[in-house]
Amino acid sequence: MDFTLSEEQEMLKKMARDFLESNCPESFVREMERDEKGYSPDLWHKIAELGWQGLIFPEKYGGAEGSFMDLAVLYEEMGRAMFPSPHLSTVVLGGLTILAAGNEEQKAELLPKITNGDVKLSLALTEPSASWDADGVAVRATADGDDYIIDGTKLFVHDAHIADYLLCVTRTKNGTVPEDGITLFLVDAKSPGISYTMLKTIDGSNKQSEVVFNKVRVPKKNMVGNLNGGWAPLARVLQQGAVMQCAEMVGAGQKVLEITVDYAKTRVQFGNPIGIYQWIQDHCIYLLNYVDGSRWVTYQAAWKLSENLPYDLEVAIAKAWTSDAYEKACWRAHQVLAGVGFTIERGLLPLFTTRAKVQQLYLGDSAYHRKKIAKLIENWSPEISKGKPRGLWEKGEPWGEKDLKIWPWVQDRKFRPKV
Amino acid sequence: MDFGFTEEQEKLRKEVKDYFINELPSDYKTGVFPCSEELVAFLREVESKLGKKGWIAPGWPKEYGGLNLGEIERDIIREESGYWDIFWPDVIGIMMAGPALYLFGTEEQKKRFLPAIAKGEAIWLECFTEPNAGTDEGSMELRAVADGDDYVFNGQKCFITTQPIKPDYLYTEARTLDIEPKHRGLTLFLIPADTPGITYNPLPAMDNRLTSEIFFEDARVPKEYMIGELNRGFYHAMTTLEFERANTGVPARLKHELHEFIQFCRETKRNGKPLIDDPYVRDTLADIAVRIEVLRLALWRTSWRFSERERLGPLDYDLGGLNGKEIVAPMYEAMMNILGLYGQLKTGSKWAQLAGSIERKWEVSRSTHPEGTIEALKIVLAGRGLGLPRRR
Ligand SMILES: Cc1cc2nc3c(=O)[nH]c(=O)nc-3n(C[C@H](O)[C@H](O)[C@H](O)COP(=O)(O)OP(=O)(O)OC[C@H]3O[C@@H](n4cnc5c(N)ncnc54)[C@H](O)[C@@H]3O)c2cc1C
Ligand SMILES: Cc1cc2nc3c(=O)[nH]c(=O)nc-3n(C[C@H](O)[C@H](O)[C@H](O)COP(=O)(O)OP(=O)(O)OC[C@H]3O[C@@H](n4cnc5c(N)ncnc54)[C@H](O)[C@@H]3O)c2cc1C
Repeated sequence: MDFTLSEEQEMLKKMARDFLESNCPESFVREMERDEKGYSPDLWHKIAELGWQGLIFPEKYGGAEGSFMDLAVLYEEMGRAMFPSPHLSTVVLGGLTILAAGNEEQKAELLPKITNGDVKLSLALTEPSASWDADGVAVRATADGDDYIIDGTKLFVHDAHIADYLLCVTRTKNGTVPEDGITLFLVDAKSPGISYTMLKTIDGSNKQSEVVFNKVRVPKKNMVGNLNGGWAPLARVLQQGAVMQCAEMVGAGQKVLEITVDYAKTRVQFGNPIGIYQWIQDHCIYLLNYVDGSRWVTYQAAWKLSENLPYDLEVAIAKAWTSDAYEKACWRAHQVLAGVGFTIERGLLPLFTTRAKVQQLYLGDSAYHRKKIAKLIENWSPEISKGKPRGLWEKGEPWGEKDLKIWPWVQDRKFRPKV
Repeated sequence: MDFGFTEEQEKLRKEVKDYFINELPSDYKTGVFPCSEELVAFLREVESKLGKKGWIAPGWPKEYGGLNLGEIERDIIREESGYWDIFWPDVIGIMMAGPALYLFGTEEQKKRFLPAIAKGEAIWLECFTEPNAGTDEGSMELRAVADGDDYVFNGQKCFITTQPIKPDYLYTEARTLDIEPKHRGLTLFLIPADTPGITYNPLPAMDNRLTSEIFFEDARVPKEYMIGELNRGFYHAMTTLEFERANTGVPARLKHELHEFIQFCRETKRNGKPLIDDPYVRDTLADIAVRIEVLRLALWRTSWRFSERERLGPLDYDLGGLNGKEIVAPMYEAMMNILGLYGQLKTGSKWAQLAGSIERKWEVSRSTHPEGTIEALKIVLAGRGLGLPRRR
């Protein structure tokens, strides 16, 4: 058991915090909400120099071979600063899929470019079915000579508007189970036949698009992984992404907690700092509880990923808990910050709150992950003890009866009730 | 970060786990408050066997009946016994009086009282609460007045958890000084339970639990039965609570209950379909599993943080207590909802499901007060945990 970060992780954390505090202040976050791209190419290259895109990749692709735990530390800081960037799309959802399923040529071509900031990816998975499962994938890819032709609509695609490549999840076969028949393609984002429409969402920073593929031609060599076998590697990456999304929420939640507690200590009403009132304390305590609980379920999941231990349950628990906990944490903060917390230009809280909703939904909301958990625990049974039976629990009556005669020592003379 | 245990620790865990699997009767049931003499006798037998192994107070040195193990190891044993909901008849000796004596007792007291606790041979009651002093310990009025070589006690305690087995000692807090603030005038004592002048009046509680009122009328106790420093009782009691914060047994017990309930949902059909296929049931069970995991990690965080107190300073905050108290009511309410009409049946009814155990646990889940109410924990969290201002 150890609930601390390693020395290197503490250094990474501090480095990331310092960098983001000077390069990603509140004004920048607000500016990027209004910005068409929604991120700064300049900063994107700066963080590449710091090694953020390459942190998780093997050395031979220019990476630092960091662990998921290291990456989680970075995501926590990015979440705290609300850093607008296509990191999750490019590095985790895109890059790690290529690392897991791509051939050597694809890896050697793309991963170094991701690492140095020259390539951005976007995962085109969800569709109007709004499902994170394979059965939601209807966009077709049909073989045609040396190409495949992709046809259909992808929806809620994060960072599609700035990506160099879309990692498109397609259906190439109607298998007996929905997972069978999914194939991944790396599609040049500027291919003829692709059209983009930016969605107007609650959160201006996580830019999402509708992406329509109108008979888009993709060379066969752009297939990532096996024909019809794309779901298995993608599903693992979705889990890794979910943990990073949790880490972002943990960092953001921590900041919301700090803002709220500071406010409770300094805002005076009725002659007292409001933090003296127990109702305000209650909000702060639950806020702490939501953030702290999220931190440990998230770190545990990241640790399992890092250590290559079975992680299905821990990942689902992390996302199921953290998604809702973070939303509730923001709600508590709003109660304490009252008027100030609700006004857009005065404080950070509205920015956190709107992001909370998007992060809660992205890569599966709580109900979605609870479904996964149910599947994983439905065969649980208690341990069975094997000693000689004693028959002490079979008779229902002793504890069905309130007769104090069963308390002989109380009847004892010395212990006679006072009358 | 490391959410795993060392090889040694895993070995210990397995040893404890195997012990319970092999030792506990195959018809053993959890969540049963021992109201029959036979059951209490059986639990005493288990307790004394565990005592012989050193698993009751594993953190104490060998000379006091422990194994000299660290907090993590202690909490592993607690977690494994928690899975079986081992009801320690001497829970107060083990969790409160013993630790207080261990921390603040004289060498002579330790030698005399600790081994019996560690071996499961004594029964202690905790005598803190009074009619006018519940959460507000400082308002205690049970008075201990020095008289020669003795202290003389007059006053009353109430809601004292009592069992169908005769107690040996009362772990008691009493007023020894009138002072403001009031909590600076309290002192801890151990009082032989059969001291003349002490009488017991049973106050039955829900789920067939029993508490008592205890009256003291000129009850005389030798001075050497004082625990720790005069007028420092409140502080000693707080420090002692700290040592017992990481009750890793709670989530383990809840997990056992969830295991049983999931099995029940697999095996029970409603409207021609197993309960486990119902989306509401599935969502509810998953939600319970999530909450238990959050609680488990909170407690392990406390256990770990406490075990590192020399390096990192005193325990900063504990969220295990709050979560442990807050998880039970919604958990059993949800299970009761799934049982529907059957939920209202008590143990002993021919139609009762799971032998009525969910109903019993639902009843007990109304009682979150022992060792401090939820609100009392929040006062600590707001002050020490978050540094929020206090009213004076
Ligand atoms: C959208 C919007 C529209 C509004 N429109 C108007 C308007 O048209 N006209 C107008 O005059 N005002 C308006 N207001 C202001 C609104 O009435 C105030 O926000 C509200 O009275 C709370 O005051 P505050 O924001 O200063 O919070 P504070 O008073 O600083 O309160 C902060 C927190 O402390 C709590 N608190 C304060 N005192 C105590 C106590 N003694 N015990 C326990 N808790 C306490 C509060 O409940 C709150 O949770 C508007 C606010 C909003 C958000
Ligand atoms: C089953 C059971 C077994 C028990 N066993 C024992 C035992 O063995 N030994 C023993 O000594 N005691 C025992 N108790 C007593 C228990 O410790 C007390 O019930 C508990 O300390 C609360 O005291 P009270 O019931 O007097 O409530 P009160 O202290 O009167 O509290 C009533 C309510 O007011 C709240 N409150 C009080 N002060 C504040 C404050 N400053 N701010 C906000 N809210 C506040 C409380 O949280 C609670 O919600 C037992 C209780 C139960 C139910």
